[in-house]
Amino acid sequence: MIKEGILDVVMAAEVGLLVVSVFLYFAHGVWLFFHQRRRERLIGEARKQLARLLTRSTVSPENVHALGRLPHGVQIAVFLEISQNITGTGKEKLRFIAGEIRLLDRAMGYCRSRSWSRRLRGTRLLARMDVSDPLVEQLLADPHPAVRAQAAEWAAAHPTVPVVAEMLDMLADPATLARFAVQDALLRMGPIVVDPLVRFLETHSGKPAESGLRLAEALAGPTFLPAGISFASSEDPALRTSAANLLGAIGNMSAASRLIEMLSDSHSDVRASAASGLGRMRHWQAASDLAKGLCDSAWAVRRDSALALRALGAPGVLLLRRALKGSDAFAADMARQTLDLPATAG
Amino acid sequence: MMPPEIMDTIGTVAHAVLPTVDVLALVYFLVVNSWYLVLLASAAIEMRRHILLITDESRHLLLSSTLSPTISILAPAYNEEATIEASLRALLALQYPRLEVIVISDGSKDTTVQVLIDRFDLVPVKRIYQQRIKTKPVRGLYRSVTHPGLVVVDKENGGKADALNVGLSFARNELVCAMDADTLIEGDGLQRMVRPFLHSPDVVATGGTIRVVNGSEVRFGRVVTTRVPSHTLAGLQVVEYLRAFLFGRLGWNRLGGNLIISGAFGLFRRESVLSAGGYLHDTVGEDMELVLRLKRLSYEQGGPGRIAFVPDPVAWTEVPESLRVLGRQRDRWHRGLADVLWRHRGMFMNRRYGATGLFVFPCYVIIDLLSPVIEAAGLVAIVLSLVLGVVDSTFAVLFLLTAYGLGTALSAFTLILEDLSFHRYTTFRDRALLFCWALLENLGYRQLTVVWRLRGLWKFLRGRKEWGAMERKGFVHLSAAEK
Repeated sequence: MIKEGILDVVMAAEVGLLVVSVFLYFAHGVWLFFHQRRRERLIGEARKQLARLLTRSTVSPENVHALGRLPHGVQIAVFLEISQNITGTGKEKLRFIAGEIRLLDRAMGYCRSRSWSRRLRGTRLLARMDVSDPLVEQLLADPHPAVRAQAAEWAAAHPTVPVVAEMLDMLADPATLARFAVQDALLRMGPIVVDPLVRFLETHSGKPAESGLRLAEALAGPTFLPAGISFASSEDPALRTSAANLLGAIGNMSAASRLIEMLSDSHSDVRASAASGLGRMRHWQAASDLAKGLCDSAWAVRRDSALALRALGAPGVLLLRRALKGSDAFAADMARQTLDLPATAG
Repeated sequence: MMPPEIMDTIGTVAHAVLPTVDVLALVYFLVVNSWYLVLLASAAIEMRRHILLITDESRHLLLSSTLSPTISILAPAYNEEATIEASLRALLALQYPRLEVIVISDGSKDTTVQVLIDRFDLVPVKRIYQQRIKTKPVRGLYRSVTHPGLVVVDKENGGKADALNVGLSFARNELVCAMDADTLIEGDGLQRMVRPFLHSPDVVATGGTIRVVNGSEVRFGRVVTTRVPSHTLAGLQVVEYLRAFLFGRLGWNRLGGNLIISGAFGLFRRESVLSAGGYLHDTVGEDMELVLRLKRLSYEQGGPGRIAFVPDPVAWTEVPESLRVLGRQRDRWHRGLADVLWRHRGMFMNRRYGATGLFVFPCYVIIDLLSPVIEAAGLVAIVLSLVLGVVDSTFAVLFLLTAYGLGTALSAFTLILEDLSFHRYTTFRDRALLFCWALLENLGYRQLTVVWRLRGLWKFLRGRKEWGAMERKGFVHLSAAEK
C-alpha cells in the first residue's frame, strides 16, 4: 500500500531531525558551559578594573585601556550593574569612563539603529548612566512602546521644560507600558510639572485629561483647583470621577463645596469618589449629606459614605449610630459593618 | 468457536473498515504534528521577542512606583497544617510592592488556622466587603499584627472554587493571583507575570510557565538548585510540562489563542473576574472554565479579553510520582477540558467569537479533546490490521514514525528552545537525563496518558465530577537542606 521509498524518506528525515536536535542540544550545552565560565571571569575582571577606576582620585589610562579591551557585552553588563548603585560624583566618573572606552558612543549608535531591540538596549544604557543627550529625548516618540517607556524613565531624571511638554503629550499614549512610565516619570519630576500640567488640563479632554487629572491628584496642589472644578461638570463620568478624586486631594473649602454637590451626581462612581474625598479632608460640615449616601442604591457609595462618616469622628459616628436604628436595612447594615471596624482600620 | 460465515463477515468488514481507520488516523497525526511544528515556530519567534525585551531589564520602576498595578494573592488551603507556615513565609517574601496575601482556609479539619494564628500573630478583625458571588459562610477573618499585608479567611468547606470566590470578595487590589497553596513562586515571579498587563490594556489574565520541582533543591520555599528528577514518572512529566508550556502555550500566545491558565498560578483582573461571576463550583476544570468565560464575555460584552502567557519560569509544582495518582490527575484534567468545552459549545465555529470561535475552539476540540479517542482508535486499528494482514508492515512503521517519531523530535526541539532561552538545566547529567526522558516519553508513557484521558472522557460522559485526592511527598523531603 505504501511505497518503501516514502518510508525511507520519512525515516531518514526523522533520524536526521533527531541527530540534529541531539547535536544542537549538547553542542549548545558545551558552548554555554564555556561561555558562562568565560563571561563570569571577564565580568569579574571588568568589575575589578571599574572599581579601581572609581575609587582612585585619578583615572589611570592603563585601567581604562584594560576595560576597553573587554567584550562589549561584558562592558555593558558591568556598567549597567554598577550604575544602579552609585549617584552624584560617582556616576559622573562612571559616565566619564564610559565615554573614554567609547561605550556611550556605542549606546548612541544603538539608539539610531533600525532594530527596536538595539534602540531599547541603547536607551537603557543611556538612561541608567543618566546621560543627558537630545538623542534620548527624540526616542520619546519612538514607534516601539518599550523604547518610549525606557526614554520616559530617562526623562524622569532630566526634567527640562521641553521634555515635560513632550511627556504631557504622551499621557494619551495608546501603549499602557509607555503611559505608565510617563505618568511615573512625571510624578518623580515633582513641582516642575505643576504649571505645564495646569495648562495641559485647560486645553485637553478625554483620556489625556483623565490621565492628567490622576497625575494632578498625586501632586495635589491648590493650583489644580480650577481644573478640578471645571472637570467636575464634564459630561464624561470618568472625568467627573477623576475630578472628584482631585478635589478630595486638594482639600480646601471651594473643593469641599463642589464635592458636596457631586454627592448627588447621576453616576455612582462620582458619588463614591465625592464621599471619599469629603472623608479624606474630614469636612464635618458635610456629615448630613454623607449620611444620605448610606441609603444610596450603589454599594460602593454606601461604603464610601460610611467610611467618610467614620473619618469625620464624633459627628459622623453619631449619624452612623442613628442609621443603625433607621428604616433602611441597607444603610443600617453598612453602618453596623463600619462601626464594627477596629480603630486602626482604614 | 464462531461459525465460519460469521468469521467471514467479520473479516470482510475488517478489510473494508480498518484501512480507512488507519489512513484517517495517519492523516490526523500528520495534521496534528504539522500544527505542532507551526506552534513551535511561533513559540520560537515569540521567545526571541521576549528575550530581547527583557535583556538588561531593570524592574526598579515597577517596584518603586506608586502607580504599579496592585496584586492580591489568593491562596486556598485545606488541611495544610504541616506546610502552611513555610508556604506562607515564601509568599510574604515575594518581591512586589504593596502585596496583599489572602489565605483562605476552606473548612480545614486540622489545625491550619491555629497554626496561622500562632505563627503570624493573627487577630480577629472585621472588614467591609461586598459579597458579589454567593459562597459558603465565612467563619472568621484575621489580620496579622506583624505582616500588614496578610489576611486569613476561615470559611466553611466548599471546594477550591468557593475558596477563591471568597478571596475575590475580600481582595482589595486591581489584580488577583490565584494559586495552589503548595505552588512555589519565584521571588520575582509576580514582577514577571504583571508585564503583559503593563503592555496592553486588553489583557484580562496572564499565566506563566510552571515547572516540575521534583528532584530540585528547595530551601525556604524557593527552588535553589534546579535538577532533573531521576524518578521516571517525574522525569517524563518534566518534558511534558516543558512541551505544554514552552511551545504549546507560548506558540498560541503569539497567535492569540491561549485559553488555558494553570490553576497552580495565574493572574487576573479582579473586576473582570467578579463581573464574570467568579469561579464555577460544579466543574473540575474551574480554572479553564473561568478563562474561557472571560474570553467569551469579552466578545459578548466588550472589555479586556486577551489571555497572555509569560514564558519565564515563574512557579514550581510537585508532580505525582505514582501511576495511580497521576492517572487520577490526568483523568480529572481531561474531564475538566471536556466539561468546559461542552459548557461553551456555543462558541464552536461561531463567527460571533471571531478567531476564537472559528479556529482556536475547534483546535482545542479536535487536537486536545478528541486526541485520545483518535489515538486509541488508530493504535487498535493498526494492531488489528497487522494481525489480519489488512496493511503491510511498511504502513505500520510509517504510522508509528508519524505518530511518535515526530512527537519525539518536537520534544527534543522544545528542550533546545528551553536551553536557548532560560537554560535552567545546566549540568551534563541533567541534560542527558532530560534527553532520555524526551526519547522515552513516546514509548509507553504517552499511551498511558491516552488511557487515562479516555477514562476521563468516559467519566465525563457518565456525568462524574469527583476530584480524587492528590498525594504529595512535600518539599521537605525533596531536599535534606530544607529547614
